[in-house]
Amino acid sequence: MSSDRRAFFRTLASAARDVAQPAAPDVEAPDAVGPWLDRYSRQLVLPEWSEAAQRTLAAASVLVVGAGALGSPVATYLAGAGVGRLGIVDDGDVELSNLHRQHLHFTPDLGVPKARSAVAKLAYLNPEIVIEPYQAAFGAAMVEGHDLVVDCTDSFTARYAVNAACCAARVPLVEAGVVGMSGLVMAIRPGETACYRCAFPAPPADAASCAEAGVLGPAAGVVGSLQALEALKLLAGLPALTDAFLQVDLAGLDFLRVAVRRRPQCPDCSAA
Amino acid sequence: MAVRTLDITALTCPMTWVRTKLELERMAPGEALEVRCAEGEALENVPRSAAAAGHEVRVSGPIVRIVRR
Repeated sequence: MSSDRRAFFRTLASAARDVAQPAAPDVEAPDAVGPWLDRYSRQLVLPEWSEAAQRTLAAASVLVVGAGALGSPVATYLAGAGVGRLGIVDDGDVELSNLHRQHLHFTPDLGVPKARSAVAKLAYLNPEIVIEPYQAAFGAAMVEGHDLVVDCTDSFTARYAVNAACCAARVPLVEAGVVGMSGLVMAIRPGETACYRCAFPAPPADAASCAEAGVLGPAAGVVGSLQALEALKLLAGLPALTDAFLQVDLAGLDFLRVAVRRRPQCPDCSAA
Repeated sequence: MAVRTLDITALTCPMTWVRTKLELERMAPGEALEVRCAEGEALENVPRSAAAAGHEVRVSGPIVRIVRR
């Protein structure tokens, strides 16, 4: 590790320590307005949100699979919103070609494992939560014990693996994909609503990953932000994008909600 | 039924309504909350936000009385 990079992480870590606050919410004190209340005030003020929703979030454990173009906005918003425990899975290292769209990684991070690079920034963003890096390829056993999984991988093969694992363990899931100027998002409650395999039984023959097809950074940001939004809805028990997927065309700025039904013979979710 | 009280005179927007909203969330429907507000922003916004959320609101001087819906 270069001395520049060491200094960068040292600064980041000490800054995170400096802003660390006691984790115990102090809303019980009748007239106190503590950092907890202040940090989450702009979501607590929403009619759709509540102290109960905030506490549910604080007690929740979420696994984000992939710390790239989708994982960056997803993990950033979930950490900021106050999800109590975040796991970040990625077995890759930060590359120069990632930086235009993967906003959790900066130029001094080149060569650093993405899971660790992401966790360093997230801990800086919200020192009140627990964030764990998993510097490994996704494995089905990883979903156990989580309340929600957000799939931020970049291939049909990987998404099918995450979908199958979540269906088997009955862990709610938010799927998404983005390529070029378009993407899609789908929320799934395994055993109750259509899964990713129900919507897409087989990968398209001409499926390209973003490594081949390219993607504009903000396009991935929009799709990842929608994914984070659906994750918060599922966690808080708000109506979510289930039994449907949202098809997002960012060239023409068209959003199309496509209804999907569970398939009785679905190899992933029919037993769930 | 005992009336709850809340003093938000030291707070500014949006914490005035955040604090009031959280207090209301902890109450049962029909329960009353008397909120002491500072002149200006709080006394204008808190009654409006409470009414918009569907609660019954009455203002007398610096006290906003809210009955939870």
